[in-house]
Amino acid sequence: MYAVTSPSERAAAEPSRLHGLLHVSAGPRGLRALEQRAPLRALLPRVPPGEPLTACLTNTAGGLVGGDSLTVAVEAEPGGRLLAMAQAAEKVYRSLGPDVRMDVTLTAGEGAWLEWLPQETILFDAARLRRRTRLDVAEGGRALAGEMVVLGRTAHGETVRTGLLRDAWEVRVGGRLAWMDALHLEGDLRRAVDASSGFGGAVAAATAVFVGPDLEDLRDGLRDLPTEEGAMRGATVVGGVLVARWLGHDAQAMRCDFGRAWAWLRHRAEGLPEKLPRLWHV
Amino acid sequence: MLDESGLYRLMTWLSPSFPVGAYTYSHGLEWAVETGAVRDRQTLTDWVEGVLLHGAGRSDADLFREAHGAEGAALDRVIEVADALRGTAELAMESANQGRAFLTAVTASWPHPRLEDLATRCRALERPPAYPVAVAVAASAHGVPLAPALTAFLHALAANLVSAAVRLVPLGQTDGQKAQAALADTVHEAAAAALGRDWDDLGAAAPVVDLFSMFHETQYTRLFRS
Repeated sequence: MYAVTSPSERAAAEPSRLHGLLHVSAGPRGLRALEQRAPLRALLPRVPPGEPLTACLTNTAGGLVGGDSLTVAVEAEPGGRLLAMAQAAEKVYRSLGPDVRMDVTLTAGEGAWLEWLPQETILFDAARLRRRTRLDVAEGGRALAGEMVVLGRTAHGETVRTGLLRDAWEVRVGGRLAWMDALHLEGDLRRAVDASSGFGGAVAAATAVFVGPDLEDLRDGLRDLPTEEGAMRGATVVGGVLVARWLGHDAQAMRCDFGRAWAWLRHRAEGLPEKLPRLWHV
Repeated sequence: MLDESGLYRLMTWLSPSFPVGAYTYSHGLEWAVETGAVRDRQTLTDWVEGVLLHGAGRSDADLFREAHGAEGAALDRVIEVADALRGTAELAMESANQGRAFLTAVTASWPHPRLEDLATRCRALERPPAYPVAVAVAASAHGVPLAPALTAFLHALAANLVSAAVRLVPLGQTDGQKAQAALADTVHEAAAAALGRDWDDLGAAAPVVDLFSMFHETQYTRLFRS
């Protein structure tokens, strides 16, 4: 017997293509550590006065395929202030089998401010993504973190039909497990996407969580913000965490709404400028 | 195999007359009716089908499966995850209140050392027993096999939503029962899928339920607590 394997099948069967790694941490006097391994890189742009130290993450590979893994650790040490953001939307291409793994660990120490500002993760049809985001906030720390996913290259009229999208959150406050979430779609994705109680036909979804003081006031303020046409936004306080969620029938409208709510939150919660970094809009 | 005593227990514990107050929770359905997303038998059936296959019918079934037969540290882990894995304030309350009420009632009327153990663990962890965890542990303690217990649990979830819709839409009793009948295959499908699933795949894909539950928190006129 001869095994017949096409080049593309062999490529897909390789245990891993890329293992990107990035670790950035900030203390009260600025950058404390920066470690990076291709294809992940961090730029530290000059920021306007009043803005925290900003790390802008890029994936120089220009997208992810099955078998790739990215490991990101972002830390604001006690008294430190750090904004980490993605420079561009991340594309996850069709997989012939293996999953893309993204492992994000966010840590905010006592008295620290940490911001993890996402761009969209765009899932191509038949892409497979498992992402886990762990947020660990010490007593007296504040953190704002989010993720956005878009189902298909919607600008090209593409939707996703099969594949895997797993986006899991684990939030700890003062060491105690406070809130978990696990979005899991697999197989025939249309079933969940089209279901009235599933995605209700939406093409994009987003989540933001905030840990810090005055959660109920922030929730009420978020609810009073006008919502962009084509997007739905809700907010709740559960397990000592403010959770905001979005669904978009129009991915661009949802992004807009997400950005506006984010700017409002960072301003109201931390007194930061009520806008997002210029790089986020590029 | 489910024997007659197992059948008797499931019918008792998951009957609407078991005092967990299930009839006060709509799981976000009250907002769906308010906006017209659920307005008749067909839209109700579709809504509940989504909840069963992609929503709580998926994640709570995963938790139910893990809790059934779990002991020691494994049970502690399920208790924690089941408490934390709640999308909104009202969905968390719905699960915690019913779980606590269930454990109290079942311990009083069908005592078992493992029910005491569950209560002790919850106190130590400072967490309520989530509803699926409480029911699964009771079933396991009393020798009710996982598969029929899970089917009964999912049936009760569907029946409670149908009953809420009958009051909210409103629908006739016959339409409600037609919806319940139409959901039979879905209940079986959800149970079978959960039995074959990995713990690593725990989760749900029903963000609309979460959003509607958030909107329900400020709904002006409400009959239901969730």
